[in-house]
Amino acid sequence: MAGPVSEDEMNNRSYYRLLLIGITALIPLSLFAVFVFLGTYSWPAIRFNGLHFLIGKTWSLGNLYANPITLHGAVVPRGARYGVLVFVAGTVLSSLIALAIAVPVSLGVAVFLSEGAPPRLRPALSFIVELLAGVPSVVYGLWGFAVLIPFVAATLGPGLKHLFGWIPFFRGPVGGGYGLLSASLVLALMVVPIIAATVRDALSKVPLEIKEAAYGLGASRFEVVSRVMLPMARASVIGASILGLGRALGETMAVLMVSGGALNYLPGNIYGPVSTMASFIASQLDSALQDPTGMAVRSLAEIALLLFGITVLVNILARLLIGRKGATARA
Amino acid sequence: MRRMFFVTKKIAPWAVAALSLMPFSVPPAVATQRVTLLETGSTLLYPLFNLWVPGYTRAHPGVRITTQGTGSGTGIAQAISGVAQIGASDAYMSNLQIKQNPSIANIPLAISAQTVNYNVPGLNRVHLKFSGPVLAGIYDGRIRYWNDRAIQSLNPGVRLPRKVIVPIHRTDGSGDTFIFSQYLSFSTPQWDQNVGYGTTISWPALPGSIGAVGNPGMVQAAQQNRYSIAYIGVSFSREVAKAGLGTAFLKNRAGRFLLPTPVTIGAAANQLVAKTPKDERLSLVFAPGVNSYPIINYEYAIVNKHQPNRAVGDAVRNFLRWAVDPRGGNSMRYLSQVHFMPLPGRISQLSKVQINEIK
Amino acid sequence: MPLRAPKPLWRGRRTLAGVLGWSGAVLAFVLVAFPLLDILYLITRRAFSAFSLTLFTQVTNGISGGLLNAITGTAVLVAGSLIIAAPVGILTGVYLAEFGHGRFGSTVRFCSDVLTGVPSIVLGYFSYVTLVIGLGWQFSVMAGAITLAIMIVPYLARLTELALQRVPNGLREAGYALGMREATVIARVVVPAALPGVLTAVLLSTAISVGETAPLIYTAGWSNYLWNGRFTHEPIGYLTYVIWSFINQPFASAHALAFAAAFLVIAAVLVLNIGVHLLLRRKVPAH
Repeated sequence: MAGPVSEDEMNNRSYYRLLLIGITALIPLSLFAVFVFLGTYSWPAIRFNGLHFLIGKTWSLGNLYANPITLHGAVVPRGARYGVLVFVAGTVLSSLIALAIAVPVSLGVAVFLSEGAPPRLRPALSFIVELLAGVPSVVYGLWGFAVLIPFVAATLGPGLKHLFGWIPFFRGPVGGGYGLLSASLVLALMVVPIIAATVRDALSKVPLEIKEAAYGLGASRFEVVSRVMLPMARASVIGASILGLGRALGETMAVLMVSGGALNYLPGNIYGPVSTMASFIASQLDSALQDPTGMAVRSLAEIALLLFGITVLVNILARLLIGRKGATARA
Repeated sequence: MRRMFFVTKKIAPWAVAALSLMPFSVPPAVATQRVTLLETGSTLLYPLFNLWVPGYTRAHPGVRITTQGTGSGTGIAQAISGVAQIGASDAYMSNLQIKQNPSIANIPLAISAQTVNYNVPGLNRVHLKFSGPVLAGIYDGRIRYWNDRAIQSLNPGVRLPRKVIVPIHRTDGSGDTFIFSQYLSFSTPQWDQNVGYGTTISWPALPGSIGAVGNPGMVQAAQQNRYSIAYIGVSFSREVAKAGLGTAFLKNRAGRFLLPTPVTIGAAANQLVAKTPKDERLSLVFAPGVNSYPIINYEYAIVNKHQPNRAVGDAVRNFLRWAVDPRGGNSMRYLSQVHFMPLPGRISQLSKVQINEIK
Repeated sequence: MPLRAPKPLWRGRRTLAGVLGWSGAVLAFVLVAFPLLDILYLITRRAFSAFSLTLFTQVTNGISGGLLNAITGTAVLVAGSLIIAAPVGILTGVYLAEFGHGRFGSTVRFCSDVLTGVPSIVLGYFSYVTLVIGLGWQFSVMAGAITLAIMIVPYLARLTELALQRVPNGLREAGYALGMREATVIARVVVPAALPGVLTAVLLSTAISVGETAPLIYTAGWSNYLWNGRFTHEPIGYLTYVIWSFINQPFASAHALAFAAAFLVIAAVLVLNIGVHLLLRRKVPAH
């Protein structure tokens, strides 16, 4: 690809270039393989479940001890129904609430790290936030279980109810801390470092001349940040938020340990138990394996396929937005 | 995938060498005749296996046994697929599963029980009384308040509060859910028709009810939610006591209200000893007899009678034989730590017959 | 534009906005930093009772004993995933940086970014269906390591690409001027110059592998014993399993082990991140 070369050298090149191309192709291939295998494996479930899969609220393995029946050409346990609306709703709600908390907090963190904190301390403070991104999901779950749940049940939940009880979604029983609120808080904590790091980088790329020009116009330090720098970083903020959304949608262990695992109903308020698609796959494979017809495991694969599709779409969206930003920056 | 596999295979010896240089590593066990068994499944049996294995392997250094708490469904599935040599399960296999896999045996190892616990301030020292139909009513939403007439009539003289009941159930697949829902199904036709029983059941949509993961999650959720009710495996009775929860008297088939004690658990088991078939697949829930505690079950080892080779078959057989022996694994030295009960003599014999068929 | 002094009231409001804005930023940081410190505090405090020499010298004996099997198991799985993923990821990064200007390059770049966004549980389920059951490998080092490798390859590729892009073109030209072939320039000039960046990528991928749980539960299984050198048909222990599983046991000793495992995982992540910082600092002198 680079410049004209002699035929001799071309031959020399072709060997290792082919090797490189072959290895490089592994990434698209594995992505493709995940899609194909999940699709093939879940195909009987896709055919059996039809549209009910997406709009049904009931996930029931049916009577595993009775003899299975033949329904729509498939052999399934009596009474088996696989509807995932509750899990889709739980996933989307927890991720969106997490994002609603995480985006403003991330902006604050990014502004603090790039402009507010004393320059000497900035590397150390940035390190704290980076470390937060490195904390494994299961450790967040452990902390959520031991610290966050009791706090939400005893303090935060009742407090929010007291303050915002006039909003329907904040009304009603606070419950035991396991639920949408705790899941969203843990997710928020997990995506803040992703968004904050991207925004901080974008802020640091704002040319000094523009900042100086703003100061020259009499803007205060905060006005330079809020009126000049953040607007310039807008594309990054949006792209990073969607990336964070992608992470939140697929988070498993931490959510599993704090979400309360609702089955067959939608949360009545922000404190109510939810299940997400990812945590449901992790917690239900065991029960599904007890279905001798195998339809339950294939339906779980269908959830995995759906989750795969959603996260891929979200990531494509994020990359397109960030890509566009890149294009304008180069122009 | 192929390519990756190829790459690793090539570099693998190098990796082994590098690892053995690590300060904390012990040279990999080379050229031993030892057999390694994998036990996986029930989280209820997991603590018991964790007590058994160190005790057994100390006396039998030729065998190594790995234990995993993955859930009963996984235990059964992996005993069938051969991934595990011993699958642990709180539930026996269904007729269809047996038909599909005729070489798989269901071998009772011990007897476990379950308690119903609650957190009602002021009443946790009182043993409240519940029946299957009342619990079914609580879990399907027909009974919403603690002072509901149905509960009050079982507990005359107790001042029950007018508070909404918070039912807690397991969300992971669990043998606890299996036997609890059997109690409801066997005692309440309406529950049997609408919900049924299983390791994961389709819980009636009941806003405010809480799902918890694992028995510790159940204990914690019950502790944190006043006016809640939960079903918890008897292995966790120490945690239940520490959390200050109340333990319920449960109504048995004969109409008496009982707590789980060695006497009432043993009585229930004895009632069904004679009925236990050769393949030992039988529910012990809601047993007849005046002194029978209603929620007990056999804890099973799910084992393929045809093991891959003789050494493995011998190892599985010897270990299981030790496990059901009252001088071995079935002694109270092990069982009392998890509040299990030993197998009655006849069941122990039936289990041994099945164990001896393992090749 | 001539400078004009703003009206006092206006200035007051601007000052107030500034004060509120900066306090908000500080508050946001505290909201994020506090949980991290609390996590560290909780885990250190609860792990303390389990800390002794046996933690590092004994295998998990039921639910007591040590964590030697989990520690070595995590090391084996991470090493295995790196052995698979590092060559693939780094070479992909080389390709992307040096030749990836065409459509194929951008497709790969795009796919690898998408792959980083695929939830780990989905990859775990994929491996369970294909490797554990499909190929019949059962729970094994190989199934676990390949799953982790698929997870970290895109990180390695993109971070390597980034590191190589930072190598000044002058270096490449100097190599060609000396008569080097393209492959030699890349192997002897470009990659060595980008080595700190590539190492950073490896360290970060290691940190990701060390902390992963969900996909390993259905691929690596768990073992109470030290790895016996088999790549398939033999489950292996790892630290995150202890965290997830032992916290569900009715024994205090098991809980202590769970927190000790969490402590070790966090400590490893901390050390790896500090390593990354030291590498980056060496590359770019403090400014």
